[in-house]
Amino acid sequence: MRNLIAFFKRFQIFLVFVLLQVVALSAYVQYSEFARLQVFSSASRINGGLYDIRYAVTQHFNLEKTNRKLEWENAQLREKLKLSNYKIDRELIQIEDTNYHQQYLYMSATVINNTYDKRNNYMTIDIGKNHGIQKGWGVISSKGVVGIVHLVGESYSIVKTILSKNINVDVSMRDGGAFGLLKWDGINPKICQISGISNDISIKKFTKVITRGGSGIYPKGIPVGVITKRKSIEGKPLWDLQVRIAEDFRTIQHVYVIKNVMLDEMRELEGKIPPDKEEEEL
Amino acid sequence: MNIFVLNSIRFILFVLFQALILNNLEPGLGLYAMIYPLFIFMLPFQMGTVPLMLVSFAFGLVIDSFSNTFGLHASSAVVMAFFRPIIFKWLSPRDGYESVESVNVYSMGGRWFLYSYGTLLLIHHTWFFAIESFKLNEFLWILIKIGLSVPSSFLLSLLVQFIFISNKKVVR
Repeated sequence: MRNLIAFFKRFQIFLVFVLLQVVALSAYVQYSEFARLQVFSSASRINGGLYDIRYAVTQHFNLEKTNRKLEWENAQLREKLKLSNYKIDRELIQIEDTNYHQQYLYMSATVINNTYDKRNNYMTIDIGKNHGIQKGWGVISSKGVVGIVHLVGESYSIVKTILSKNINVDVSMRDGGAFGLLKWDGINPKICQISGISNDISIKKFTKVITRGGSGIYPKGIPVGVITKRKSIEGKPLWDLQVRIAEDFRTIQHVYVIKNVMLDEMRELEGKIPPDKEEEEL
Repeated sequence: MNIFVLNSIRFILFVLFQALILNNLEPGLGLYAMIYPLFIFMLPFQMGTVPLMLVSFAFGLVIDSFSNTFGLHASSAVVMAFFRPIIFKWLSPRDGYESVESVNVYSMGGRWFLYSYGTLLLIHHTWFFAIESFKLNEFLWILIKIGLSVPSSFLLSLLVQFIFISNKKVVR
């Protein structure tokens, strides 16, 4: 026992060092399990409030650009209005709303803080639990896919953007429909990668990439970007595809959070697929 | 001024400077200037390693909370606090640190500051960027990040000391 105490005394500094490292690194590596660490992120009230104040100061610098973007989006939406369509046959064609159930609901949010230069990039948005946001919902902007809600605070939440490790968004080619997973190698905030597409599928340059809608987080057809480079990986029958992403994370200000009304039903159904039984080794 | 009050004010100012200004400067190529290691560096000489590490841990957590890194800054800050006494011992002047009141570039001289702070910054940044990506195949990219960030953090720290610490206060 005395030896043990002597040991602790002797290596006291190193033991404290190891202890603190274990606490910090376990929080960093598996933060999703540390729900209490929400206090220690910009979803907390103090930090979010501070970022709100900063946003109130800096938002005016981008006002012109934001206006232009909103105007463009307004024009897009106006084109989709029924008013701007001409009814060809007034008697026979009727748009029955009962045929279309709303599946995705959108809620607009303002980005009050974001990064694009780190290995994992997050943004803070100004809506949270009070507005009914939940973890795992998709986030898009008027230009394309942005990310997934990662942590939810009372009135702020944190979005993990597609510029992160292991983000794995389900994407597919608009023409052809080959699908893979979107990844980011951490180098250029404008270029992402797609993995998992077999190289016997022909893919042209400048093919548009859209979301596949497979995971139920995003609706199908949200733009992701354009293929800019195509290489085959040596020793694997796969393409190495570079995508120029549609959203510019350096100027992003307004986003939409997406709720999929039927997500639970989809998950429940997919959960019923029996898991593959591992074959017993002889 | 009371040393506790002084360091508390510094704590807040360094956090605000890092969170509101430096975290938003993203010039590309992975350059990430950090000013907060200077706070750990400038804590009093008399502090033992254990309280030093505890203060650094708390300080790192606050920085983490602003940059959404979930413990990465805290870990790097503790590493820096762990190595500070070792580096100081290694570089100690002939008559020790008896007569020195505060740790800064004026009281200790430019050469000493370059060696000690440069080394600590290198340790801190290497740990930070290595843990951040934690992949062997991004090795070259990590080296670029370290190579660009260490000089910019160092110059920034030097600038901050030239601007905010008056030369007259130093007791020699």
